[in-house]
Amino acid sequence: MPHQCTNCDRTFDDGSKEMLSGCPDCGGNKFQFKPDGTDSVDTPAEPPEPPEPSSSSVARTVGRTAATVKDLMSGGSGDQHPTDQETATSSGRRSNAGAGNRGTTPQDQAAPSREDTAQASARSDVISPEELPSETTTDEPHQFQPVSTDETSTPSTDATTAQSTDATTARSTESDPRTDSSDESAVPDETEARSDASVGQPETVDTERPDLKELRDELNDQFESIKVLQPGQYELNLMELYDREEYIVALEEDGRYSIQVPENFHDHD
Amino acid sequence: MGLIRNLKHSISRAVSTLFSEENPKRIGIYGPPNAGKTTLANRIARDWTGDAVGPESHIPHETRRARRKEDIEIERDGATVNIDIVDTPGVTTKVDYEEFLDHDMEKDDAVRRSREATEGVAEAMHWLREDVDGVIYVLDSSTDPFTQVNTMLIGIIESQDLPVLILANKTDLEESSVQRIRNAFPQHETIPLSALEGDNMDEVYDKIAEYFG
Repeated sequence: MPHQCTNCDRTFDDGSKEMLSGCPDCGGNKFQFKPDGTDSVDTPAEPPEPPEPSSSSVARTVGRTAATVKDLMSGGSGDQHPTDQETATSSGRRSNAGAGNRGTTPQDQAAPSREDTAQASARSDVISPEELPSETTTDEPHQFQPVSTDETSTPSTDATTAQSTDATTARSTESDPRTDSSDESAVPDETEARSDASVGQPETVDTERPDLKELRDELNDQFESIKVLQPGQYELNLMELYDREEYIVALEEDGRYSIQVPENFHDHD
Repeated sequence: MGLIRNLKHSISRAVSTLFSEENPKRIGIYGPPNAGKTTLANRIARDWTGDAVGPESHIPHETRRARRKEDIEIERDGATVNIDIVDTPGVTTKVDYEEFLDHDMEKDDAVRRSREATEGVAEAMHWLREDVDGVIYVLDSSTDPFTQVNTMLIGIIESQDLPVLILANKTDLEESSVQRIRNAFPQHETIPLSALEGDNMDEVYDKIAEYFG
């Protein structure tokens, strides 16, 4: 049950042609794609997931939908790929010169014997705007819009991608970089927080508090001779202070020291 | 590194012993805050030089920089002992500015005092490592001597083989218990005194001459 009409909840098998011109029952043109293994029929129209975790699943869903549509548009099965190129070119020619391609190749002639009319049409014809429901955007032949994309994609993005005749493919290729970029944008935040932790400025990294605390504790255990709890409150490791080669001459509010390195510091090595 | 440092200390100590006539011993006065270290330093300096070392206060961490009084000549039984005394900031493992707010101090002043006191502890530990030939360890005999700071500092001093004299100060106080200090550090001789009142200072000078002369 990969496809479901978001209006009347009617479901369609993967590869079904019934939905290509809209839902036969209600005329709705929005379908959600449900990957294999997720069979719950009563999926809400507005998924409750927060946008951040759902973005990757959105991209996957868009990608699968695009792949499905692409297969449907080009003939539906992988073993027919050798003829897809010819079909595409012939369909292009047909769109320009109506009957020019009739009986051009044996394969095209043989095709109707294995396909019904709808399949042949879906494989070879570009759907005309008139065949789409009235509220459909004219440049968008099939609106396979997983409901969750409404939350994450901006209308301008959809409009831009809809300019292409292969709109869904364009959207899928665009979705992946967008998802990647959102992932990448999260990584610098994380590394930035960790770099803050390494210099001990806790006020900037509330979101990384647990890691920062662990890091500070570890650093304190290993290196600190003076721990600044807050300005004016200090804990001192007397053994560390005693063992230091250098002499702490000034202590700043943020925990930094000014030190005087002994003149013979390098002689010990 | 530790072996090299210990070797260096041993050599320098042996050298300083050889030339003890020429070089006065540098004696560090150590102990926790408010034990009476500066009062003792002032008492010694006034008794033998006429000058004081630094201001005394009942507020902890009044001494936040080590202060040195050089070439104090102490006469004992016809001989003289020359020492430099170093009055060090009170050593502690925790400094909190709120402790000073109880002494009618503004927060900014308390925070600054706290920071300076922390620097002072670091300085005191540095002096102990590098610059003293012996230690006078001052304890307030009216308080419990079984503390982490006392145990750790005495341990460091022992590990350095520094001569150490433990003074049980503030015997003028009612709660004073010299025996409690003797029990805490039975391996060392404990001398009772009141640096504030000048009580038992003769015995203190005898022991200084004996330990550091």
